[in-house]
Amino acid sequence: MSGHDSKYFSTTKKGEIPELKEELNSQYKDKRKDAVKKVIAAMTVGKDVSSLFTDVVNCMQTENLELKKLVYLYLINYAKSQPDLAILAVNTFVKDSQDPNPLIRALAVRTMGCIRVDKITEYLCDPLQRCLKDDDPYVRKTAAICVAKLYDINAELVEDRGFLDALKDLISDNNPMVVANAVAALAEIQESSSRPIFEITSHTLSKLLTALNECTEWGQVFILDALSKYKAADAREAENIVERVTPRLQHANCAVVLSAVKMILQQMELITSTDVVRNLCKKMAPPLVTLLSAEPEIQYVALRNINLIVQKRPTILAHEIKVFFCKYNDPIYVKMEKLEIMIKLASDRNIDQVLLEFKEYATEVDVDFVRKAVRAIGRCAIKLERAAERCISVLLELIKIKVNYVVQEAIIVIKDIFRRYPNTYESIIATLCESLDTLDEPEAKASMIWIIGEYAERIDNADELLESFLESFPEEPPQVQLQLLTATVKLFLKKPTEGPQQMIQVVLNNATVETDNPDLRDRAYIYWRLLSTDPEAAKDVVLAEKPVISDDSNQLDPSLLDELLSNIATLSSVYHKPPEAFVTRVKTTQKTEEEEYSDAGEQSYSDSPARVAESGASPPASTANPQHPASRQPAAPAALPDLLDLGMDNSGSAIVSVDQPATPAGPPLPVVLPASSGQGLQISAQLIRTDGQIFYSMMFENNSQVPLDGFMIQFNKNTFGLAAGGQLQVPQLLPGTSASTLLPMVLFQNISPGPANTLLQVAIKNNQQPVWYFNDKIYFHVFFTEDGRMERSTFLETWKSLPDSNEVSRDFPASVINSVETTLDHLAASNMFFIAKRKHANQEVLYLSAKIPRGIPFLIELTAVIGTPGVKCAIKTPSPEMAPLFFEAVETLLKS
Amino acid sequence: MISQFFVLSQRGDSIVFRDYRGDVPKGSAEIFFRKVKFWKEDGGEEAPPVFNVDGVNYFHVKVVGLLFVATSRTNLSPSLVLELLQRIARVIKDYLGVLNEDSLRKNFVLVYELLDEVVDFGYVQTTSTEILKSYIFNEPIMIDAGRLPPLGPAAMFMQGSKRMPGTAITKSVVANEPGGRKREEIFVDIIEKISITFSSSGYILTSEIDGTIQMKSYLTGNPEIRLALNEDLGIGRAGGRSAYDYGGSAGSGAVVLDDCNFHESVQLDSFDVDRTLTLVPPDGEFPVMNYRITQEFKPPFRINTLVEEAGSLKAEVILKIRAEFPSDITANTILVQMPLPTYTSRVSFELEPGTVGQTTDFKESNKRLEWSLKKVVGGSDHTLRAKLTFSQESHGNITKEAGPVSMTFTIPMYNPSRLQVKYLQIAKKSKTYNPYRWVRYVTQANSYVARI
Repeated sequence: MSGHDSKYFSTTKKGEIPELKEELNSQYKDKRKDAVKKVIAAMTVGKDVSSLFTDVVNCMQTENLELKKLVYLYLINYAKSQPDLAILAVNTFVKDSQDPNPLIRALAVRTMGCIRVDKITEYLCDPLQRCLKDDDPYVRKTAAICVAKLYDINAELVEDRGFLDALKDLISDNNPMVVANAVAALAEIQESSSRPIFEITSHTLSKLLTALNECTEWGQVFILDALSKYKAADAREAENIVERVTPRLQHANCAVVLSAVKMILQQMELITSTDVVRNLCKKMAPPLVTLLSAEPEIQYVALRNINLIVQKRPTILAHEIKVFFCKYNDPIYVKMEKLEIMIKLASDRNIDQVLLEFKEYATEVDVDFVRKAVRAIGRCAIKLERAAERCISVLLELIKIKVNYVVQEAIIVIKDIFRRYPNTYESIIATLCESLDTLDEPEAKASMIWIIGEYAERIDNADELLESFLESFPEEPPQVQLQLLTATVKLFLKKPTEGPQQMIQVVLNNATVETDNPDLRDRAYIYWRLLSTDPEAAKDVVLAEKPVISDDSNQLDPSLLDELLSNIATLSSVYHKPPEAFVTRVKTTQKTEEEEYSDAGEQSYSDSPARVAESGASPPASTANPQHPASRQPAAPAALPDLLDLGMDNSGSAIVSVDQPATPAGPPLPVVLPASSGQGLQISAQLIRTDGQIFYSMMFENNSQVPLDGFMIQFNKNTFGLAAGGQLQVPQLLPGTSASTLLPMVLFQNISPGPANTLLQVAIKNNQQPVWYFNDKIYFHVFFTEDGRMERSTFLETWKSLPDSNEVSRDFPASVINSVETTLDHLAASNMFFIAKRKHANQEVLYLSAKIPRGIPFLIELTAVIGTPGVKCAIKTPSPEMAPLFFEAVETLLKS
Repeated sequence: MISQFFVLSQRGDSIVFRDYRGDVPKGSAEIFFRKVKFWKEDGGEEAPPVFNVDGVNYFHVKVVGLLFVATSRTNLSPSLVLELLQRIARVIKDYLGVLNEDSLRKNFVLVYELLDEVVDFGYVQTTSTEILKSYIFNEPIMIDAGRLPPLGPAAMFMQGSKRMPGTAITKSVVANEPGGRKREEIFVDIIEKISITFSSSGYILTSEIDGTIQMKSYLTGNPEIRLALNEDLGIGRAGGRSAYDYGGSAGSGAVVLDDCNFHESVQLDSFDVDRTLTLVPPDGEFPVMNYRITQEFKPPFRINTLVEEAGSLKAEVILKIRAEFPSDITANTILVQMPLPTYTSRVSFELEPGTVGQTTDFKESNKRLEWSLKKVVGGSDHTLRAKLTFSQESHGNITKEAGPVSMTFTIPMYNPSRLQVKYLQIAKKSKTYNPYRWVRYVTQANSYVARI
């Protein structure tokens, strides 16, 4: 061993590359080894030493493992850029894979698998086959991982050569390292395949549970994670599994503990005995708490997971709230998570202790933490009715310290407390008003103004207070302007005296003539009209009783919570997002989850004027609209059943049948709001494409006892920015009647950020009922435009011009093409246009094109054996991120 | 599975970079570093250990000022990755003796060799130094360890006490001593990190001990070892937190652990019977057992804070600490800190007459008082008077705008839990075989806070 490696970083006068070249070809072993080290050093700092490829490869044939490893490291890095030269190494690789030394055999296979060059891959198969059956476990475990590598490069090759079966055999290997790697490799392959490859049966289950006890800690995680997908047949089996897994909770490795917790939580769902469940909860508590003694990074992961666990099973940690008290040296990201859990665990029993902590945190230095602590006090007040008063007195104490951001935060939460307990704590308003001058944040200002307006009749100088804000009206942010407008109207309605009357003039003038904010202007006009036509009606609307808000500390939607809980110990449980929201490579699963859950929740928090505005703007109730577009209505109910199944009907009824078995009497549109949840109102709807335009085809059925009118619709932000292109035209619906309508839709209005998905969130209101929210699915093929047809030459050029990385493919194992003609006609009806076809062995290969708005083309290749299930779809497009949605659409179209 | 692993210096230079799967774009190290840096500048906050940028998940831990980072595109187990990053740091440290930028750069070939055995195609293979030894062929190049801060809690043995052989901590598990022969020795460290929150009236609000029995073996031939702990050691609090539990356990003098876990090499066959652990220690440093205690214990330090207002623009803070451990024990590197009101403009300090090894400071930037003491002997007390001058009138309640007082310290040869290694038995190879055994105790403050 000669000196320090860092000397290899030093440069020479002569010119580095020629000098290295010379040294690499030296007759002395040591000199060659040193030279390779220098090359690697240059490589790691980013210098291009690829020109030495041949010389380095020449050093490969050596018995010296140290040198061999170095050369292999070099090869992995540069083989891709020198594929023609890489072939020089193949012989040595193949020879090495049969070396008597198992380390060399394993090293050869490991390295070959890392070189993603076709010529190397071809030669990999034979050595891999041998190594999978090698006598030495180190070689077998390396080979197991190598199968996953090969699958990533060339999946077909793996299947053709029977490597999957060899891999499955390794699950029964007598070496636990081999078993663990085989499980990891199979799990990865399953992840990228749509066919069932690695299914865990009760047989494999018991084998893997046995292997678990002998595995390394990392292998235990692989196995536990793979097993967590297993669904036990009954409570007894679940109990058995849990019994085998519980000892893992004692492991020093946090990853093992969390994966074991996940497994136990999942099996607990099936266990019926309350004693067993209680006992398990008791067993899980200490290890979960112990995770908080690990490094802060691990603590963070543990806390994010615990946050989910306590929402589902609050009893587990109900007595452990103290361990979530913040330490002064916790990193901020740990403190924030602890606060969140403290709120969740707060109860009438421990609230005094908790409040004492929050109060202490609220005087710390970190501003964000302090704000969150203040907010936490408010959330406890809203959550625990009996503790509300104590919470408020703590807030008042904090306000008295007069630290600016504490005061503002306190006022924001007090507004929420007033919403939760109306007419209960107004006595503190006077104290709040003392801090009026210090407010400079929009949210705090808006909250204070809301309080003044809401309680205008009890505040003697409410008019003076509001007036002080009015002077700066034009400069205020929109949030504050809107609140000022509403508060002034409230004041006027409650105290219709001269002062307020003048104020309302000023405000309405400011908010209509002098502003260019449409929200503000519209709201002001509505108030104006209301006040001038019928002040009593205005009172009914503006001063209407507001729905009481509730605690949001369990804010996750139950279905999302369940999905996240099934993903405990994964990133999904740290981000609190379903995997498909952030994993870009994974195949999209059939169901799309909502990402924005906050909407419904915020609605209940948001102030009433927004609703007032809505109802004020609704068209006169009973006038049936004369321009009801009956002529254009394809009247989904009247859509002729397509007896010949020729796909002539492009209104989308073909798609409907997927979601809903077409019962002749039933409505052809899928029900999006069943009568049972709509208080008798049933809504069926579906996006369709007709005459080159997208419509939301809807049917309303009134099964309630009252006539319904004044229907309005709104769409939440979505991937495509779909929004209503006009008013919703629905006449008054008498009980027992129904009406259909076609709502024209426009694109690119309110585009939601984040990965593309097919979720369409819709809100419908009418004059008699609360607002209904429901989720619909966007069928991607409604976007296929009529001008999607391509010339053959254009198709070829486009295909060539797009990089290979834009090519994505997917198998539809269940789809069948029975007749090329029928299928093509059917696809053409959905604007997927046929370009060419060819035969490949017994397979038909079809080429088609489609286009979506903004001229984004999709070039499609469908491969199938006629009459046999299994269609392969490959596409190339400038927008590969849309591929999952595209595949979903094609699959749907092929099924029908 | 992870896609890449890299180590960045504090300045963001990439010291080690290994790509395992090639599915993450090249600039990931820069993207990561920029994100972490701006996280701080934007919100004054520390970036969480796990975050996602453009579909790439970044995981990181900080070890001796270096950032150990992994990337991935899949929904994998974050605790696995974070734990892995810590273990990689430990394995490298086992091999290099010292872990820092310099040693990594000098040994980059060895480090890459290690990384290829530890992870294959993104899947962890092993992090056991013992197992790795059979696959690793490069030898470490030692750097001058004397002036370098080593890794981990055992580092505290480096300072102060003469009884500790300082070189042991920075010795590589594979390299030979100068002179060719390896010294046969084994270290067992009982390290306890304590957290206490005192209320303003001096009551203990919460207290907790996070303990580790850490082992580092340099024995050849890996003989079996038996560690005996307190015979009356109890595990798990029976039922809830009743007064009986606290009273009962404290009264009988038994040590009761809330929870504990063990290294996978530990055999627990006789643990339930006589509280002995049997293991064949693998090479390298590893925790034999981690434990957690919330049973009440005697706090080593009491803190007394008095704040007196003297007119509208002045106040006096009197800080008093008393060491409540035996007089043959000495705590070192004690630091007492207290945030002062933001409108504090000047502070003058007054120490007791005749004190040595104490310094005081007022950190203007974050308005913090700092009082450091080199050594505190058991049973002694120390007082600091600080006169504060304010730039504006206080809002009336200084105690709400100052504090809490926090303390950090290290106390060698002392552990508040009274958990003990009664004996350390090494299976004998021959009569003359008598390796050095070091059993060392140390206590360190984790979050030691007194509210005012």
